[in-house]
Amino acid sequence: MTSRPKRTLLRSIPYLFSDRAGLFIAKLRSKRLSEELCGKVTDRFLELLLSGMHLAFCLSKGYRKNIKDFEGRYLFRTADRLVATAATFKEGDMEVHEEAIEDWNVRITFKDAAALMAFIFSRDQDILDSLLANDVEVDGNLNYVYKFGFMARDLGHRLGLP
Amino acid sequence: MPQITLNDLSLKDYNLTERASSLKKIYFRAMPEICIERPRLITRFSLDNALFDKERISILDKARMYRYVLENRTPIVHHTNSYEKGMRPFAFKEGPPFAGSTTSKFKGVPLYPEFAIALTIWPELWTISKRARNPFHITESEVEELNYKIFPRWIEHNILEIARKRCFEENWKCYGRKKYAPEIKLFQQLVFFIASKAGCISHTIPDFSKAINLGLRGIIDEAKARETKASDSSQGEFYKAISEVLEGIITYSRNLAKKAEEMADKERDPNLKKELLDIAEVNRQVPEFPARTFREALTTVWICWTAIHLENPNIGLSLGRLDQVLYDLYRQDIDNGTIDIQHAIELICCLWLKIGDHVPTMPDAGEQLFGGTGSNQAITIGGVDKDGNDAVNDLTYVMLRATELMKLRDPNPNARYYPGINSGDYLRQLCAVNINTGAIPAIHNDKAVIKALTSKGETIEQARDYGVIGCVEPGSNGRFYGHSAAILLNLTSALELTLFNGRHRHTGLDVVMSKETGDPTTFTSLEEFKAAFERQTCWLVEQATNLNNLLGRVHQDFYPTPILSAFFEGPMDKGKDLIQGGATINSSGAAIIGLADVADSLSAIQKVVFEERAISFADLLGALEKNFEGYEALQRRLMNPDKTPKYGNEDPVADANVSWIIELLDGAFGEKKNYRGGHYRVGYWTMTNHAGFGRLMQATPNGRKARENFTSGITPVSGVTPYLTKALNSVAKQPARCLSSGVALNLKYTPEHGEAHKMLDNFLASVEGYFDDADGERDGGMEIQFIIADHNTLAHAADHPEKYPELLVRVSGYTAYFKDLNPQMQKEIIDRTEYRLSTGKMLPFDPFPLPKKGVDL
Repeated sequence: MTSRPKRTLLRSIPYLFSDRAGLFIAKLRSKRLSEELCGKVTDRFLELLLSGMHLAFCLSKGYRKNIKDFEGRYLFRTADRLVATAATFKEGDMEVHEEAIEDWNVRITFKDAAALMAFIFSRDQDILDSLLANDVEVDGNLNYVYKFGFMARDLGHRLGLP
Repeated sequence: MPQITLNDLSLKDYNLTERASSLKKIYFRAMPEICIERPRLITRFSLDNALFDKERISILDKARMYRYVLENRTPIVHHTNSYEKGMRPFAFKEGPPFAGSTTSKFKGVPLYPEFAIALTIWPELWTISKRARNPFHITESEVEELNYKIFPRWIEHNILEIARKRCFEENWKCYGRKKYAPEIKLFQQLVFFIASKAGCISHTIPDFSKAINLGLRGIIDEAKARETKASDSSQGEFYKAISEVLEGIITYSRNLAKKAEEMADKERDPNLKKELLDIAEVNRQVPEFPARTFREALTTVWICWTAIHLENPNIGLSLGRLDQVLYDLYRQDIDNGTIDIQHAIELICCLWLKIGDHVPTMPDAGEQLFGGTGSNQAITIGGVDKDGNDAVNDLTYVMLRATELMKLRDPNPNARYYPGINSGDYLRQLCAVNINTGAIPAIHNDKAVIKALTSKGETIEQARDYGVIGCVEPGSNGRFYGHSAAILLNLTSALELTLFNGRHRHTGLDVVMSKETGDPTTFTSLEEFKAAFERQTCWLVEQATNLNNLLGRVHQDFYPTPILSAFFEGPMDKGKDLIQGGATINSSGAAIIGLADVADSLSAIQKVVFEERAISFADLLGALEKNFEGYEALQRRLMNPDKTPKYGNEDPVADANVSWIIELLDGAFGEKKNYRGGHYRVGYWTMTNHAGFGRLMQATPNGRKARENFTSGITPVSGVTPYLTKALNSVAKQPARCLSSGVALNLKYTPEHGEAHKMLDNFLASVEGYFDDADGERDGGMEIQFIIADHNTLAHAADHPEKYPELLVRVSGYTAYFKDLNPQMQKEIIDRTEYRLSTGKMLPFDPFPLPKKGVDL
């Protein structure tokens, strides 16, 4: 993820130019995420999604409005417990942690990247299939998942991702 | 004065008026639209009054909030626009004679962020208007307001999350470690039970008679008088709250009147001008003051109904015995010539349309699992009065005719029939309307229902005055607070836990979910298996009732219901809100899913494993694990009613297993007390959950393969009951005292157009035979509901929904438009056993293919 000075620099772009310009840059930087969403889901899906969101929060005032006054702690982990990633939101900022965190609001345990993507983006019957197969397990407050789901889709909506 | 003065009970000479017909067309053309007015107003009020910071929300806080919403919501006399398929806007001018609406939209989707369901659509806000099945219109600015201003406030403040937090804190105190609410976790694993209190209570019937006869001003005066004599501060607060909300409703009606007058001022068409002035006059009179005419009484019901929905989510709230409550003013107006029958039918048709002006919130995954539901607002007609006399009157037939002409999903019509007291002509007319509409009304056997209710402690007068709630649940009109759908229990999970020694294939066979009740491969008799099943069932009942009571206590602290309490028998006398136990009769209800599949599984195990020893238990489990692949002969045998006992064939073994389960559940639930001091009641109606749970469950010992539907309600399994009479008798012999939360027996009859009269005779005979108590040897069937359509028509409708926009079907309890159901549920309806009445035999069973993955799901 970006360092604090770099983040400050990125955040100045929508002010210096426009929100559209910021989103344009975010879109250029989200090519891999776009490919993942097109179906080539790899183990990097979560990392790409979180970094795409992080970048868009920096580059777009409109998108950043999603996390104004929002506090939330998300823990994502694989079903084998080998990989854990966390995303925390506080004071209008997002941080990504490559390790488990305590005191999460919601913990999402997923079988694989495809199941996680289906769960977050819940296209057509994907969410149902992931439920049927018990591929994703959620502990904690589900409303944080819904909020995250909106932000993920809003990213796609704003960047024109598939 | 005789209650029946009509010469022709069918009222076939009365048809839809131009106005009703036009409004019906608009209604079917319009797509549902998400309405954010209610969440906007309650969020604003909660912020301004710091309600989010409170540990407990008092009834007075709530009452002030609802008064604020009622006084500030947009008074809409007539809607003039909506969106049609493809979300194209369209405009119209016609309006009904009733002003006001449940939401600010023509066909609205109200949001209740205090409950778990509203926020489930959050991720879908950008796509919900484009989803394949049952899309909801929403504007971009509404998406933004929900996302930025409304939903974030409720993340920690809905009933389920408050319950989770409490559970966590209690566990922390008790165990000193993090334990994340095991009952909630079970609920969220989907396969065990659904705890409906996370989404609503609602399922009940208010009493409109006081509002009609006294007016809300009269109720306010009573509340004020009682307030001065209150024995403690909580009683005083209760009465003050009642006055607050009723003042709010009066203001809302006045605002509508004012708006109608403003519109009349600008209206040039003299007819429309008069119509608007009439509306204004009616809304200035009612509901504040007593209704003087039939139309005013209908307006009282309607305005109060919108207010009740403002407070209580639009799921299962029911209107009760409207033909009784409204009859006196109907009779008066007919007798003095104020209205004629045609006009009365038109008024009822318009009221029915208004009642259906909203649909429940449903996220995409919910649509796929349990979709197609309306708001399940049941109305009840006919039956007997409190003294046991015939209560069928002219208005009963007027409502029946309106129901027949409109063919709507909501309200959900239910007819009561007391054999020997209500006339045969009345029952015949109920059957005729079923044939003509293909699905409505459901018919209830008063004798059996009253027996069921009195067995749970209701007086005979209370039981005789029952109305139908939600789908098919009986509850004494305006005095029974029963949340009949509190728990939807997947009984097949108890079977699964028994088969796998406390483990469940959905959650993984490496995890003990409940308790180990023994490896069934070591069992030597069916009795051992049944003992284990009983323990697993009791465990499941324990978890479900624990969670219901936990959620109920959260409701008590955060969701008092002053509006509903104002229209109920009990709260005013006790000075206590309904949620605190204010009603005259308190209970909670559990609906059981999978009865026939579990009973047939027990019968199969009994016969094939323990009696004939045709296969070992280990082999049976192996076959289940392999979904009968490689065990096709066994599966055929298990499905064959000639080789394996099946419920619905008057087979003593099979029917006894059903009775054993019913008695077991009645006992297990009956001994549990709910948070209001009442007891639990059990019913067998499944809505669409038998299809939803079916999708989640693996193969079962009755020969059902993985992912296939379970059987609906109390109905025998499809395709294994060749003779109609035997099927009806098997159901009719089940003990009514154990079925006090209602049953749904779903039958499908082939339309026999060439011999319509004969079909009606046979139809009538089938209902009479099913209801017959055989001179007291049995209780007789409690409820029966029909689909009159053949396999080919339904299969064609599944492939060409656009050609069947109004095809109405009974799901398992409520009524639905076939096109709105998900493919799995459509398959269940198509696959239901179809009988030809002229022969009394089942048509060849021809299962519809399961929907393929990726196809319109």
